[in-house]
Amino acid sequence: MEKIIYAIIASNRSHAELSGLVKGIQGISGSDLYVLTFKDISVAVSDFTPSKYTISKELAIDFARVIEELSQQVILLPVRFGTFLKSDEIVNQLLISHYDSFLKNLQKVENKYEFGLKALWDYEKCSEKIRTKSASEVVKAGDYFSTSTIHTNYLLEKIKKHRMEDALLKHVEALVEEILRHLAEINPDCKFKKMVTNSIILDAVFLVKKNKKDEFIQAIEVFKQQHNDLQFLLTGPWPPYSFVDIVID
Amino acid sequence: MQENVINQSKDITILEILDRVLNKGVVITGDIVISVADIDLVYVGLKLLLTSVETMREKRLTIVKSNQETK
Repeated sequence: MEKIIYAIIASNRSHAELSGLVKGIQGISGSDLYVLTFKDISVAVSDFTPSKYTISKELAIDFARVIEELSQQVILLPVRFGTFLKSDEIVNQLLISHYDSFLKNLQKVENKYEFGLKALWDYEKCSEKIRTKSASEVVKAGDYFSTSTIHTNYLLEKIKKHRMEDALLKHVEALVEEILRHLAEINPDCKFKKMVTNSIILDAVFLVKKNKKDEFIQAIEVFKQQHNDLQFLLTGPWPPYSFVDIVID
Repeated sequence: MQENVINQSKDITILEILDRVLNKGVVITGDIVISVADIDLVYVGLKLLLTSVETMREKRLTIVKSNQETK
């Protein structure tokens, strides 16, 4: 029987109080959830026997459900699914040895929600528009090569492609700047991944103060309306999955 | 069409959950680390699905526009 860790929890409650609170939440596959505590930080765990037959997509979703239910009650750092430890002692050692970094990360996410925002566009249509806009920067063979051969043509195509990628990236960077200006008053922490694919030009996550949640959703709604050429996918509120910065080997 | 839209958005939610639970959060290299092929493929699935939602929306807009023109 292994131990599966769901989340690192900050709580002012006593160990007994916190234990009572998590008792009402079922772990994955109906297992009993319990907490191990060191000072004011606890770890939510349950017993589980992993095998290639028991681990599935459904189980991962169930794991997310446990984190979601816990996050309604306490401040937490979600733990990535798929890792198992052998005993409560090992979990306890982990808690003690990483107490400081757990505490620091918990303070960062306290009273905040995570939101995800993906921006999508029609690559063909938008790249054409950008190409037309930067028509003044048309790449001419004569600027680079004195002769035209199969090799120089190939290189020219590569240069054109590179220029286009640059122009697209600049466009996305301008969009990020615009989002930041638009959200300046709400001032969330944020992370951006640009040009995830040709279609998904932006994959952003925001850490928003709980009391600014509605304001944030409204601001994104307004931003969407100002950019009809893009599709937006706003998700959340989530527990702070993307704002945890802890890797334990 | 409506049902398809609902199913697609349900799928997106599930993929967004899986993306978080499998790729984000505190990383602990434990005694046993499990990975399953169908889970590893989830993020690829998310990218494909988002692209298909985009295409579907465009098609729907085209249908709406052509209906308006007919009227």
